[in-house]
Amino acid sequence: MEKYSLIGKSIKRVDVTSKATGEAIFSADIKLSRMLVGKVLRSPHPHARIIHIDTSKAEKLPGVKAVVTALDTSGDKWGVFRYTQDQQFLPTDKVRYVGEEIAAVAAIDEDTAIEALKLIKVEYKELPAVFDIESALKPGAPLIHESYPDNINIHININIGDIEKGFKESYYLREDTFKAPEDSYFQGEPYAVAAHFDQSGNLEIWMPNAGPHLKAKPLSNVLKIPLNKVRVRKVRIGGAFGGRSEISPADVICALLAKKSQRPVKIIYTREENSIATRQAHSMVATIKTGVDKEGRVLSRDITCYMDGGAYSSTGPIAVSVPFLCMEQAYRMDNVRYNGYRIFTNKPIRGMFRTHGRAFACGIDLQLDMIGQELGFDPVEMRLKNVRKTGEYTSTKSYIASCGMTEAILKTTEKAKWKEKWGKLPPYHGIGIGCNSVQTGFPMGIRGGSQAFIKFNEEGGISVITGIVDNGQGNDSMIVQIAAEELGLDLDNIQLISADTEVTPSDPGSYSMCETFIGGNAVRLAAQDAKKKLLKIASEVLKVSEDQLDLRDKNIFVINNPEQSISMSKVVRMALGRGESISGEGTYWPKVDGRREWVENPSGQLSETFSFGSVIAEVKVDPETGKVDVLEVTAAQDVGYALNPKIIEGQFEGGVAMGGQGGMLSEYVLWYNGRVLNSNQLDYMVPLATDMPKINNIIVETVDPNGPYGAKEAGMSVAMSTAQAYCGAICNAIGANIKDFPLTPDKILKAIEEKGKK
Amino acid sequence: MYKKTVLLKINNEEHIISTYPNRTLLEILRDDLCLTGTKESCGEGICGACTVLLDGLPVRSCILLVTEVEGKEITTIEGLSGGEKLDPLQEAFIEYHAIQCGFCSPGMILTAYSLLKSNPNPDEEEIRHAISGNICRCTGYAKIVEAVKAMSEKGS
Repeated sequence: MEKYSLIGKSIKRVDVTSKATGEAIFSADIKLSRMLVGKVLRSPHPHARIIHIDTSKAEKLPGVKAVVTALDTSGDKWGVFRYTQDQQFLPTDKVRYVGEEIAAVAAIDEDTAIEALKLIKVEYKELPAVFDIESALKPGAPLIHESYPDNINIHININIGDIEKGFKESYYLREDTFKAPEDSYFQGEPYAVAAHFDQSGNLEIWMPNAGPHLKAKPLSNVLKIPLNKVRVRKVRIGGAFGGRSEISPADVICALLAKKSQRPVKIIYTREENSIATRQAHSMVATIKTGVDKEGRVLSRDITCYMDGGAYSSTGPIAVSVPFLCMEQAYRMDNVRYNGYRIFTNKPIRGMFRTHGRAFACGIDLQLDMIGQELGFDPVEMRLKNVRKTGEYTSTKSYIASCGMTEAILKTTEKAKWKEKWGKLPPYHGIGIGCNSVQTGFPMGIRGGSQAFIKFNEEGGISVITGIVDNGQGNDSMIVQIAAEELGLDLDNIQLISADTEVTPSDPGSYSMCETFIGGNAVRLAAQDAKKKLLKIASEVLKVSEDQLDLRDKNIFVINNPEQSISMSKVVRMALGRGESISGEGTYWPKVDGRREWVENPSGQLSETFSFGSVIAEVKVDPETGKVDVLEVTAAQDVGYALNPKIIEGQFEGGVAMGGQGGMLSEYVLWYNGRVLNSNQLDYMVPLATDMPKINNIIVETVDPNGPYGAKEAGMSVAMSTAQAYCGAICNAIGANIKDFPLTPDKILKAIEEKGKK
Repeated sequence: MYKKTVLLKINNEEHIISTYPNRTLLEILRDDLCLTGTKESCGEGICGACTVLLDGLPVRSCILLVTEVEGKEITTIEGLSGGEKLDPLQEAFIEYHAIQCGFCSPGMILTAYSLLKSNPNPDEEEIRHAISGNICRCTGYAKIVEAVKAMSEKGS
């Protein structure tokens, strides 16, 4: 008999039939009786004091049912951390970026709402603004927040070993500066929120989210209503990629409008609003100094990274840390200093992005290639000499319980025929490798663990109740697959109740790649708890001990004599007859160091386990146009254990598109004085079907000792590694190193031209 | 502006709609008829999320005025399956894991459906070309191409 009946199989996803037929309900599809249309008035200035807001004309417009401004709020400032509370969802004192929310209306239709926005008169006093890191840091630069001197939002300082000693002992040293502008998440679904208050004053609200509980708590705080009255409902979500984690001003505004009008309200963002007023990815400048020994082993590294955080803190402390942490997981760094700064500017707010830190990660990898060039080692050799292995500790003291990085590198190099190709490709053809590692969650205070419940009906079917959310990556299927596996059920026997704050228990959210490891473990434990209760009764009936019993196909059977069995429905009915209920409860709390803190104490176990990726890209560059044709991508990741291989492949392929094809070739935000010039689909170039290369997927399994069935996470390391692989391949193709990303044709042509001059 | 009465043939049903003539087909479908399977993503005719079939050909309903489609056969994603029975192409999208978040799926499926009607055996290049006006942010398109290819190989 196979080890598992469902785990490890590419079962059909449980959520996709309704997505194929159009029945799946996303936030913008919610329709309630008497629902109003909400629209937001946004600041036209990058930095201005608010003198006066006159809404009287808008309020008098027929069809307008509510107008809200900061006067309708408590005025409290909100922040992810106690030390980053800097954002009012409708500001009272000043606006800090073009597009910031200033007021909102709810009206009977969109035309009336737009008309009403035009009737709101806001008197501003414009203030000098700063639009880049350099000018924000200049002495005397306009201060964006009084509480953050010099516009420095966050400074992370990590100092491990003795870097000066390491540099002194180094055989070869080099320092390079890498940079990249902002990129946009560009989720398929523009942000939308629907809200209403019921007769008992409960707020019912739908919006794209990466964790309903991460939305409910701040809503409760800001709206000053008890947490159990905030009901974030489950809804289908059109992609997150890191950008749907935090509370959005739209959530608060929609709730305020619903309260004031006493009617349901729906706000649907335009594509442009989604680009400007949700989150963007940070632009950054990373200076990396690396010293190596004769063999190319890194002895010492000093990294200084400046990240443009936009106007508010958001998840700043995490955002500044993660690019470094990913790299210290991927590569050994015994002596390392990291200074990461997040700088405020008068630009939209930046958050955590799937391919967060492309300047940083591509910098580390490209620099390894350059060092290898000097010492006579190829990029694969450079990585094999420096990557992490199982049983090591990261620089900031996280134990690596399982690490398949070397295996991933060896498998990608074999599949991509690296040895046959490196140094032997025709002119303007190139090959490159990227390696990265990501977390499976990190310390999140009381939100760090996940809990799940299972209840049986008398037919032996179950309901699984969990806070896990599905943003499109397949989490709903993962939950059902695990519960069915543990309890010997078909997928059809399982009802999923998830991602609803009224009924589902706490969960960290689909954030930092933790749902498989943490949420998946909780579901498995809940199922095992229920299983124990079933077996106890069955053992009495079958007169064998519980350890000789197992579950399969809705039956409990004796392992050595499967003919001897009892149906699960019978056991459940017996339990009910005896006044005992069969239910399951599971809680998983990852073994992370709770004392670890992003700024104050960046040391200790960050995440219980880590995934590791290796990607090789092969490209052809047209020296006349600078256009890059990506011929083939080979992507491997240590996922721990593949719960559903096809879902994992889908994550790899999506990661290649977003991290490499988009992130390294065409995606970046264009600016004019704090205004985004390419917020729309026509001008922001995401990859199309015709752009994508052939992708080879390689799933590496190290069977993590603590992951559910050994699983970790399903594809983030590939997304990051692909950016690095594209970068290495293009630089290899043109024989020049470009340190300014993404690698657009203009930069490629310039690099080719400059190389020709030498 | 005065309201106009238009007769729309959608998924083999006739609807008489009284509407201002400046409204788009997408608005009528979603807001008036609750056919919310058709999605709005970019709102400027680029991304293909709002794709419906007009006399069998894929069009962007977000940039079509409702008055332009009077009398034509409109098919939305809701019209592709009959009751509980899905179209084989929808089944293929499910089977080949071509759907992740699902926001682009209705438009993507309708575009692929139209391709297969006019070219029952498209090769990979033809498939990629046909769906190049439907943007998917999740999948990298690989599994979508596989799903359509599977239909092509079945010769349906």
